Amino acid sequence: MKIPLIPRLAALVLATTAFYTYVGQLVPQKEVHPPVEIVLKKDMDTTEMAKTGRELMDGKGLCFTCHTIGKKGVLRFPDLENVDVRAKTREAGLSDVEYFAQAMYDPDKFVVPGFNPGMPHINKPPIGLSDDEILCVIAYLQSLGGTSTVTLQTKHAYNQGAAAK
Amino acid sequence: MGNPKIRIALGILAIVIGLAVVGKIASFLVSHEYREPFRVAVGAEDATPREQGVIDEKAEAEKKAMATPYVEPDYRAFPKIGSRVAVWVAAQLHLLFAAFVLAVPLFAFIIEAIGVFTKDKRYDRLAYEFTKLLSVAFSMTATFGAALTFLLIALYPKFTMYLASVFSPTFLPYVGLFFFEAFFLYSYYYGWGKFHPYVHLFLGFMLNLVGTSIMLIANAWVTFMTSPAGVSEKGAVISTWDAVHNFTWMPINVHRFIANIAFGGSVAAAYAAFKFLQAETDEERAHYDWMGYIGNFVAIIAFLPLPFAGYWLAKEIYAFSQTLGLTMMGGAFSWLFIIQAVLIGNLFLAANYYLWLGMGRVEGHNPFQKYIKYLLIGITLCFMVWATPRSIIATVSEVRAMGGAVHPILGFLGVMSAKNTAVNILILTTYMSFLLYRRTGKVATVAWAKLGNALQLGIFATAAIFVIFLGVYGYFVEARVRIGLSVPQVSSVLLAMVSITVIDVFLYAGAKKTAEVRWGKIPAASQYILIFIAVTFTWLMGLMGYVRSGLRQHWHVYGVMRDTSPDAFTPTLGFATIVVSCTVLAFFLLIGFVFWLASLHDKKDWAAAGTASADAHSTHGSGGRH
Repeated sequence: MKIPLIPRLAALVLATTAFYTYVGQLVPQKEVHPPVEIVLKKDMDTTEMAKTGRELMDGKGLCFTCHTIGKKGVLRFPDLENVDVRAKTREAGLSDVEYFAQAMYDPDKFVVPGFNPGMPHINKPPIGLSDDEILCVIAYLQSLGGTSTVTLQTKHAYNQGAAAK
Repeated sequence: MGNPKIRIALGILAIVIGLAVVGKIASFLVSHEYREPFRVAVGAEDATPREQGVIDEKAEAEKKAMATPYVEPDYRAFPKIGSRVAVWVAAQLHLLFAAFVLAVPLFAFIIEAIGVFTKDKRYDRLAYEFTKLLSVAFSMTATFGAALTFLLIALYPKFTMYLASVFSPTFLPYVGLFFFEAFFLYSYYYGWGKFHPYVHLFLGFMLNLVGTSIMLIANAWVTFMTSPAGVSEKGAVISTWDAVHNFTWMPINVHRFIANIAFGGSVAAAYAAFKFLQAETDEERAHYDWMGYIGNFVAIIAFLPLPFAGYWLAKEIYAFSQTLGLTMMGGAFSWLFIIQAVLIGNLFLAANYYLWLGMGRVEGHNPFQKYIKYLLIGITLCFMVWATPRSIIATVSEVRAMGGAVHPILGFLGVMSAKNTAVNILILTTYMSFLLYRRTGKVATVAWAKLGNALQLGIFATAAIFVIFLGVYGYFVEARVRIGLSVPQVSSVLLAMVSITVIDVFLYAGAKKTAEVRWGKIPAASQYILIFIAVTFTWLMGLMGYVRSGLRQHWHVYGVMRDTSPDAFTPTLGFATIVVSCTVLAFFLLIGFVFWLASLHDKKDWAAAGTASADAHSTHGSGGRH
């Protein structure tokens, strides 16, 4: 029995779309939810700040979309392993805290040699971390190769600190 | 099914079912409208008789409703499928029909112009045949455009009002252009053969000009959402022109313009395939085989530069925001590009297979057929490289055995260096298939034929070696150098294709025909391939439309206006592909209706039994100047 043309064509269209739908089910399935807002306690100590900083980098900060920790080879963005060691001497006259703050508030001011500019302004949308949240991230970054020293009262050039421009 | 009474009965039944479905949907929507439930205060004791209580409750509810101030909600929910999916489907269907309505006039105009200047009536008939598909598709475009607008206003009022506040100066020109689009489209269609050919060509030109302008305005609204400009950080409008001329506007304009042609060509070829398979005479088969060939030719020619336009768009997305670029290529959407690779690989395979089958149209022995196996090997290898993911889904023991999620050997094929190389070689190979097809049944007679062939082969080989060399070189250099290598890769392929084409035009000018092309003498499988290509193109458009829009993740306007609705999350790719498939099926159901309406044009006029129906062949179907 010869199948009429229309059902044959319908079967072809259905089979093709079904195949692509099937391919779509084979790849990893992940639902990405908006970052959860973390409420910062006013009396956080430096250790708690570093822990929160890591959570912020994983979530709202989107830091690990580009950066890695402990990855070797030809990279598109600087790896953050032992970053505090480099941050202390990266720019003359800037402490690690000042350097990290500059990298997040004004990322194009200094670009690590060998890399293209591309870091977004972390205090502005779409990331939009608050001053306190950025201090938490700095606390975590200090812990990578150094010791966290910042508190929520720490001032730097970008949060009206002593060295403010 | 041949009995007219049964057909009439089925038609009436279909209408009744259709109306019942619409009624059911309407009653469902009304009955699911959210109402504040009435609650008796805890511990309250009510001694009022029930009847009086019901009257009091109603009166109180009315009083409360009258006293409630108007508050504009940020969002409203669409029942069952949710607001996002409702808008997604409407937008995608609108876009698919719009792409078709914008693309078909473009190549209809070019084909008509060829017919006018060569005085070959076949081209005129072909251009008219393409144009016949337009009028119903135009109505579909407008219908889904209206559906999309109403859904946006109803479901996302705050966001829609914000877009209106930014782009209100563009609305009136858009409406004006839409009016002119209708004017030129219908005068182009109904005026076929009624005007001087140059006047008619002018109508076609204006139709294209107006259609493209409409697309440019709509693209501004869409691209602003991804890469906003002309507004302050808080969203206040500073410059509407800057909002229009944002980072991704021009790349999207170019990308969509080319993709529309590829898509329109493929759907028109699918129509020709449908007509070919329905054809009862050799003449009809010959005509629709030719039409399918031209439609597919348009699609593939437009498809070849599309990856380059895609590169430009991606580059501008990175330039606007590295975060956005990395979300697209390295984050939540990276696996989507593996699905894309499967689709594009299938398109290349199918397009080449169609060309190879087409060689059979030419009488006698075909000396080029022996090369097909090498081309097939090349295409298959490139396809495999392109579809290789960087990281592999594996069990814990497999990950341990590999020393990570990246396979020690295959992992090298999952990076951009390998993929850029594969796609460029894929394009070159497809171009080679086309070149071989073009030469079938011809022998170059110019004195420098041997030199010309050697030169073409040399250019092809040089481009291929250069592309592969840069691909390998990319593994040994730092990222910023590697990213830049895609430009010379693309340029060398484009340069090779252009220079080989130029040589070919002169080489085969006045070529000796060794065999005739027998249009219509092609296996029926080729026509199913054309339909497969159209479905794959449509699906690909749906998928890429999803990534373009979904890229913003939890933002309506990236970095400016956040999406706080329940649909603000990014769904799984599996879910996205199901929505894309449903949309594609809906599109083909509707475009099937368009095809059916267009085919009525050629049907004999109805005549009562016993009258001279055989003589009443429609004069409308003759289509103008031929």
